[in-house]
Amino acid sequence: MFSQLLEIFTSVAFYAAVIRLTAPLLLSAMGGLVAERSGIITFGMEGMMLMGAIGAAVGSYYTQSVLGGLVFAMLAGMFLAFLYGIMCVTVGANQVVSAVALNLGALGLSSTIFALVFSNKALGVVTEVVSVPSMRPVKIPLLGDIPILGDILFNQLPLVYIAFLAVPAVWFVLYRTTIGLKIRSVGEHPHAADTVGISVVRVRYLSVLFTGLMAGLAGALLSIGMLNTFQENMSAGRGFIAYTAIVFGKWEPFGILLGTLLFGLADAIQLRIQALNLPIPYQFWVAFPYIVTLLALVLFVGKATWPAASGQPFKRESK
Amino acid sequence: MLRLQESTNRWEILYRRFLERSFNILIPLGAILAAFVISSALIVARGANPLSAYAALFAGAFGSSNALANTVTRMVPIIMTGLAVTYGYRSGFFNIGAEGQLFMGAMATTWMGITLTGWPAWLLIPASLLAGALAGSLWALIPGYLKAKRGFNEVLTTLLLNYITIQLFEFLIRVDHAVGLGHPFLAWIGLKDPTQPFPKSAYITEAARMPSLTSLLTWLGGTAEDPAFQRFTLAAVVAVLAAVVIYILLFKTTTGYRARAVGVNPRAAQYMGINVVRTTITTALISGALAGMAGSLEIMGFQHRVIQNFLVGAGYDGIPVALIGQLNPLGVLLSALFFGALRAGANRMQIVSGAPVSIIYVIQSLAILFAIAGTVIDLRPRRLKQAEIEEAKRLEAELALQSSPATGTDILGEEARHV
Repeated sequence: MFSQLLEIFTSVAFYAAVIRLTAPLLLSAMGGLVAERSGIITFGMEGMMLMGAIGAAVGSYYTQSVLGGLVFAMLAGMFLAFLYGIMCVTVGANQVVSAVALNLGALGLSSTIFALVFSNKALGVVTEVVSVPSMRPVKIPLLGDIPILGDILFNQLPLVYIAFLAVPAVWFVLYRTTIGLKIRSVGEHPHAADTVGISVVRVRYLSVLFTGLMAGLAGALLSIGMLNTFQENMSAGRGFIAYTAIVFGKWEPFGILLGTLLFGLADAIQLRIQALNLPIPYQFWVAFPYIVTLLALVLFVGKATWPAASGQPFKRESK
Repeated sequence: MLRLQESTNRWEILYRRFLERSFNILIPLGAILAAFVISSALIVARGANPLSAYAALFAGAFGSSNALANTVTRMVPIIMTGLAVTYGYRSGFFNIGAEGQLFMGAMATTWMGITLTGWPAWLLIPASLLAGALAGSLWALIPGYLKAKRGFNEVLTTLLLNYITIQLFEFLIRVDHAVGLGHPFLAWIGLKDPTQPFPKSAYITEAARMPSLTSLLTWLGGTAEDPAFQRFTLAAVVAVLAAVVIYILLFKTTTGYRARAVGVNPRAAQYMGINVVRTTITTALISGALAGMAGSLEIMGFQHRVIQNFLVGAGYDGIPVALIGQLNPLGVLLSALFFGALRAGANRMQIVSGAPVSIIYVIQSLAILFAIAGTVIDLRPRRLKQAEIEEAKRLEAELALQSSPATGTDILGEEARHV
């Protein structure tokens, strides 16, 4: 048994899987971080991811190209994000509740669209195995030839690279640009930001749309990246895990990277270890990533500083 | 003169209250209607006629005694989870974990029904229900304790616990159940029927099942020819009673008053001398018990055993049920009727019109969005609005406890903010 475990933990494929499984969470969490810093709770990423997954499958099917799939995925994610923006910014409703409603809506809408597009017209149900064009790994020249590390890091799907590159990019935008300053000020002191002429409404809308775009890409990574089809509720809580990673990472890009890697690691472990026939039940390993996340939250995350205006609708007259 | 003035004022207040109340009902009704109208676009896209699709939906929910039995059966668990969410939400504990607590309740109740097979019905039925309630409460105690004592956001912890609970369930329905001492602990708590190869439990003993309309009629000396009568059980009565009890608890007792005060503003509640930590834990226990009983009633009243995917999503459905019900226990009954009917009629809709079942999720989602948007945006006539602004100052203290609670934020505001 020990040798089998050793085999897993020393295999290149295992670490490549960790990177691959981390990527959708990271994409989504980086998008979510931006909206979070502008004062919007991104509990709706689950639904945006699911919309991205169906968008990618449909887009890839109609255009017969992965790129078309990605464009559709981003649009689908942003569509739900726009609705979320209306609820959170314009209406000023409770954000968590709106998110719960939209997540439910995305579950229904994605399955309905899947049935509409792919079902057998006579029977009204999806009868054939749906297979659409999907992403292929791209080996990066030179870097991909590095022994071991090349296979783990530089022979992945294109979106995986984008996910990891998003970490320094988001960090740079948030802390080194005027746009980032605006986003953060809107999340911390919306009224002060308003006084100096920043449009709180516009910044929050754009931030949420960015979340939709990134969560949509994360969904695409699930449907046309890791598979070549759509499955009902295929996000399976990953949007919530991405949200947890944001809290875990204390709203800092590199902390979030750590949080998503932890979950990616747990996910990769459960996938490999299930095959081992250990005297520990299979279901424990399925629950393992969630147990790890819960324990990590409870045991290691101390006092977190939420963006001060998090979850609060902005109203001018309520100064 | 003065008397007259007062009495007009009083009538005016009553009139305004009446309008306020009717808006409480009109908003969800309008929201539901709007949701149906918009969702019909999806049915048109499918090439079907929305009106005939909705007619089939209605017929599938209310068209026959069988359809009605389906609707009532679907209603029972979501009334309970809707109440769980309502009580929690009003009291500052946003219980997303009703799903997991429901599974715990179902497992505990099933365990009673397959283990204590010798017990008489008058003892076993309440004991099984209590076991489910206890299991749900204990499961809710974890996020309740973490929130109250350590400031962890309950939305995250309950959500993660759901995924873990489902796997615990999946595991236990694969462990052969053994009755009696002297067996390993795992076999003792396992739920699988050892005589069957499939991951499901044995049927609970006859005495643990909720009496049905058929058995009532037989007991009264009559006969019930309609087989659908077997599915109208005491479980539905228990669910309705629970709604009344929670209404009284929430709005007519000190416990409920304290809980709502914490829900509106935990810090202010603490200044008022309310023990916020204890109140939060009590809220979690009550909310968890209700969700646990949702599982119990499903098992005792309808399915009589646990099986893989026996009731997926009823816990999450509690959230929209509570919200459309305007976070009022009696409103929950009405909104559960809407949701139960949607679920019961969906299959017939798909068969008759070809509109996919998943459309009902879209309808539900839109209905919630419109309902919460309608509550936030003031749709009342301007004249009424202005009159209310004047009135509001006087009623502020009272109304504060009825308006939207500060749920989802942390227990003592920013300073104590953890996860």
